[in-house]
Amino acid sequence: MSLRKDAPVQRPFKTLLVANRGEIAVRIIRACRELGIESVAVYSDADADAPHRRAADRAVRIGPAPANESYLRVEKIIEAARSTGAEAIHPGYGFLSEQPALAEACAVSGIVFVGPASETLSQLGDKLAARRRAAAAGVPVVPGTFEALDVAGEGGRAMTHREAERIGWPLLVKAAAGGGGRGMRVVDTLDGLDESITSATREAAAAFGDGSVYLERLVEGARHVEVQLLGDDHGNVVALGERDCSVQRRHQKLIEEAPAPGLSGDQRRHLHDLGVKVASTVGLRNAATAEFLLTPGGEFWFLEVNARLQVEHGVTELVADVDLVHEQIWIAAGRPISARVLAAAARAAAPERHAIEVRLSAEHPALHFAPAPGRVDHWRTPSGPGVRLDSGVEEGSVVSEHYDPLVAKLLVVAQDRPRALARLGRALDEFEIGGIQTTLPFHRWLLSQADFVDGTGLSTDLVDRLWQPIDLVSVAALRAAELAALAAADSSSAVAAAQDVHGTDGHNGRGNDTWWRAGITEATERLT
Amino acid sequence: MTPRNRTRVTIEAVPLVIQPDRADIAAFAPPGRGEQVRALPIAAGDRADGIRRFEVVVDGWMFEVATEPAVRAELRDRVARSAAEHHAMARLTLRAQIPGRIVRLWVAEGETVERGQRLLAVEAMKMENEIRAPQPGIVEDLSVGMGDRVERGDELLSLG
Repeated sequence: MSLRKDAPVQRPFKTLLVANRGEIAVRIIRACRELGIESVAVYSDADADAPHRRAADRAVRIGPAPANESYLRVEKIIEAARSTGAEAIHPGYGFLSEQPALAEACAVSGIVFVGPASETLSQLGDKLAARRRAAAAGVPVVPGTFEALDVAGEGGRAMTHREAERIGWPLLVKAAAGGGGRGMRVVDTLDGLDESITSATREAAAAFGDGSVYLERLVEGARHVEVQLLGDDHGNVVALGERDCSVQRRHQKLIEEAPAPGLSGDQRRHLHDLGVKVASTVGLRNAATAEFLLTPGGEFWFLEVNARLQVEHGVTELVADVDLVHEQIWIAAGRPISARVLAAAARAAAPERHAIEVRLSAEHPALHFAPAPGRVDHWRTPSGPGVRLDSGVEEGSVVSEHYDPLVAKLLVVAQDRPRALARLGRALDEFEIGGIQTTLPFHRWLLSQADFVDGTGLSTDLVDRLWQPIDLVSVAALRAAELAALAAADSSSAVAAAQDVHGTDGHNGRGNDTWWRAGITEATERLT
Repeated sequence: MTPRNRTRVTIEAVPLVIQPDRADIAAFAPPGRGEQVRALPIAAGDRADGIRRFEVVVDGWMFEVATEPAVRAELRDRVARSAAEHHAMARLTLRAQIPGRIVRLWVAEGETVERGQRLLAVEAMKMENEIRAPQPGIVEDLSVGMGDRVERGDELLSLG
């Protein structure tokens, strides 16, 4: 491409490999293009036609669909980097992003890993080690154990039970190597403890290759807040503001916003300082996030550090007006944190904008958010002022059960929270998705809830407390039945024709508008 | 009353059944904002039975909706009722709601289970999804084992 040849001489790398898939791979490839870097995608057989593959300048197949035979294989990633001459690897989030093995293999192969050193990953990625270090640095941590549970034999089990009673109920069984709610269980009484430890251990071993689990108090009514951190090779560590991610289900974040509503400037500064303190104890380099609970009593208790780019990094970008992926790549190339980022960090306790992100996942919000993979056969996305969409799918994409159900992130930014909420409502209204069930109706509902809208009821149990989808589904179902009756009654036209044209196999090519657009549907066409 | 000129509209997942007549249908409002209707292609063999299937999205909720002439549906119901009289006990077949892999199996064939008891777990998208007994019964026709892959709609077991 001529653009690349003419790009400024100064660029961090010539070629960078993105060791991920979906929306985050697309997002990183976009950053590469902006920086004049040639991008290399990797893909499994399930992603042979995925947007991230086609977005990149080059692409390398790394194996069959299951992640442990493709995206989780360090040697295949390294081999792909070698064969394409990539000088750097960006791991995104999930998969190998926090595995010291990839960072280590990069170091051995002379490839730059866009992230911390493998030793830092070992220290921070092990949540228990992070808890110990944070406590040693004087940062308050959530009450719990500081060592992995050993439930082998009667002695080990009895000791675990004593620890649990000391911490108090309800509590959480958490994977030491975990993330995203995997390998995590809520336990209400001693009765369920052994079973929960067993299943959490198995899930953790399957997801992370390490079955170590520990116990932590479940603080009721708490909010989840986290600090965005950046560190460079020159000893600088800065906080770029905080996010509130209290709206969760099954310990998976559903909505994130920046800044966290209702905090004073002093609280923000204190929280940012705690985050910097945690990061400094391990000599952090590159991007990381320190997660805290904000207790009903107003205390910040450290949870864990994620030494990678977060899913929700975009809200911080919109508020702080920095591009975190650009910064990550420049830092990896050895540059000190830019003056621009230092200035943004200095302003972080007094944010002048508000950003909100909703995670659109292929999950059924009325069926306990059960995974709902399938084929996206209709995909019309919002746009306009203050709207950003980071998506890993398009019309025709198949959302595979092999991977995370996240299909897209819708972000909005405005001058304050009420305006951001209004913008989010507008954007959600513009979103049309067919073929898969997504969390879209949940997000629309949330915007009608006072606890969320006025910010007073923000807590990690908000969804469990308020989400009662039965009535919503019933109303929608009745309306769906009416619409089907209307369509069936219109026997003369498009419905029958569509069936004849598209045959009986249920698979229509991309761009083939199978949506019924008979006379009555003229009304649905938005005036654009 | 004979449901002449009526259409039976069924959403099994909810479940919901309505039987509007032509006048009712004419009074329904056409699709508006956030509402989409798509006719799902159906197998050629099915078309003769008068059943038509639609995927309908209302406010982000997706439904599979079937329509058929009510007269025909009533006839089918009568046949089904007389067949059911030969079966003393209600038997329930559980099917996989999501594609994935069986990672837990808490019950064995012939085991008596309580309502709400855990039966098995399907791992999909890295999450374990527990399937519990919707009614008490005896486990029959256990057709999956540990580690098996299942597709959506596959039979898992029956509760007799």
